[in-house]
Amino acid sequence: MTSYRTFWVICGLYFLTLGFTTASGMEILKWIASKFEDFGSSLNVNRIPLYHFPDIWQNLIYISGLFKLVLSVMVVISITNEYQYRTLRQNIIDGMSRLEFVLSKVLTNVLLSLMSVAMLLLIIIVTGLIYTPDLAFADVITGAEFLLAYFLEIFAFLSYALMLGVFIQRSGLTIVVLMLSHMIEAIIKLNLFRESLNPSIGWLKQFFPLESITNLVPLPFARYAFQEIQDYVSITAIVIALTWAFLFNYFSYLKLKKADI
Amino acid sequence: METVLSINKLTKNFGKLCAVNQLDLEVKRGQVFGMLGPNGSGKTTTLGMLMGVTNPTSGSFTWFGEPATHHTRKKIGAVLEHPIFYPYLSGQKNLELNAMVKGANSANIEKVLDIVELSDRKEDKYRTYSLGMKQRLAIASALVSDPIILILDEPTNGLDPMGIAEIREIVKRIAADGKTIILASHLLDEVQKVCTHFAVLRKGKLMHSGPVDDVGKGEETVEVMAYHDDLGVLLQEFVGSGSIKKDNGIFQVMMKDGFHSQDLNKFLFEKGIITSHLMTKKKSLEKKFLEILFEAH
Ligand SMILES: Nc1ncnc2c1ncn2[C@@H]1O[C@H](COP(=O)(O)OP(=O)(O)OP(=O)(O)O)[C@@H](O)[C@H]1O
Ligand SMILES: [Mg+2]
Repeated sequence: MTSYRTFWVICGLYFLTLGFTTASGMEILKWIASKFEDFGSSLNVNRIPLYHFPDIWQNLIYISGLFKLVLSVMVVISITNEYQYRTLRQNIIDGMSRLEFVLSKVLTNVLLSLMSVAMLLLIIIVTGLIYTPDLAFADVITGAEFLLAYFLEIFAFLSYALMLGVFIQRSGLTIVVLMLSHMIEAIIKLNLFRESLNPSIGWLKQFFPLESITNLVPLPFARYAFQEIQDYVSITAIVIALTWAFLFNYFSYLKLKKADI
Repeated sequence: METVLSINKLTKNFGKLCAVNQLDLEVKRGQVFGMLGPNGSGKTTTLGMLMGVTNPTSGSFTWFGEPATHHTRKKIGAVLEHPIFYPYLSGQKNLELNAMVKGANSANIEKVLDIVELSDRKEDKYRTYSLGMKQRLAIASALVSDPIILILDEPTNGLDPMGIAEIREIVKRIAADGKTIILASHLLDEVQKVCTHFAVLRKGKLMHSGPVDDVGKGEETVEVMAYHDDLGVLLQEFVGSGSIKKDNGIFQVMMKDGFHSQDLNKFLFEKGIITSHLMTKKKSLEKKFLEILFEAH
């Protein structure tokens, strides 16, 4: 497992892209601004405080959240390989318990999530200190709670990917289902909550698994178009997503416990 | 002798198919136990249940007198069906992982690689190994925790005669070490050569179980050849002769109970006939195996 090349290549690529995209956003903005100047108009990059504390927390974390799909594909490959090469079977034969196996996979997910968090913390601190024009300590801290939400967002989604892998067992199909999940959930919601049906059950939406993961870190950019956004982490969202993360892993365990492998 | 494995009415259904049917079996310490049976008779399924990868439908079994947990499995080295390893890791690295799962001392790795004669290829990736090397690595991995019991499911599958002979030597060496071995195989000749006990399964049912030595007991067949025209007639005069067959110029004399080849030889010698070929043939396991399966019909 540890020296599986593809695994580490994807892993490396993920962290590289993650780091590069999040860290270089300001430089890209500056570059666009300089192009504007070439055409005689001016664009003040500091007018949009993308990389200023405290905005930077939610901004970068939201963007990073989009990359979790890459990480989840890696998790799918690692679990479905265990079935395909039957190494899961041999591990059990060798004396691993099924619970231990699930725990080892869940722990890997925790580790991957923590690594993402650590990486992002570093990038935010560094870029934030560089680009924020006037630093105030209070501003630096505000919004840091999004890191917690980010951790849960990654971990819950990886748990979901792991569960799909355990149930489907074939890498190709699992990845397809994983990619289509958002769409499938959207279709279900669309059919369930058609306006005409019953508007009073709209609040149920937030309980859907993928929606609950998305709700952890709401889209921040609308605020730059003078719109009201949710710029805090909602406790309800945390509780719902946490429950789902637990359920995903529990379902994985139940399935594995009953299966002939 | 101490009972290592005791199986009690173990049953596995796959849907309507009953792969293992009310199986009772006992294996004692130091036995080399052969599991025989035609394809699909439930050997792998049985071993899979014993090793915790197949959930039994009903029945039970105990290892070392206790119900099995994953801790029990650490004391058993097993390879079911095909060798299973991470293809992108070296033989050495794979064994390190096995040792880790089993909580075994990784100092054993060198020793077991020596036993299966893979030491000089240990750094190569598993996927570059030949089939024989894969099988041998599988045996090495089963041995890595210095287990009390070794379970091998067709360890010679797909090997050439030399590979088969090599594995046979390895198994014999391990057995001489005093380990208990359970060996599922189609090669009856192999089982006869290495096993002390055997069981025959058919469609998931136990048809027979007992010591391999017993197979040869009972009536004895003696092959006789001599340059004498009346040999056939004379053989019939011998009081110990049961039925007599002639096959390629060689007489096959089925002896009556209590008569042996030396009695026949003495008789012929007294009649003035000197044999050019005289051989006692014990009943082969193969013959017994076919008899057992045939009786069941
Ligand atoms: N996972 C499974 N699902 C459904 N049927 C199965 C499964 N595994 C085994 N069987 C069936 O159970 C029966 C016993 O199979 P098993 O593999 O135990 O036989 P075997 O004695 O090991 O045969 P072989 O000598 O060919 O290895 C067969 O009929 C097989 O088709
Ligand atoms: Mg088999």
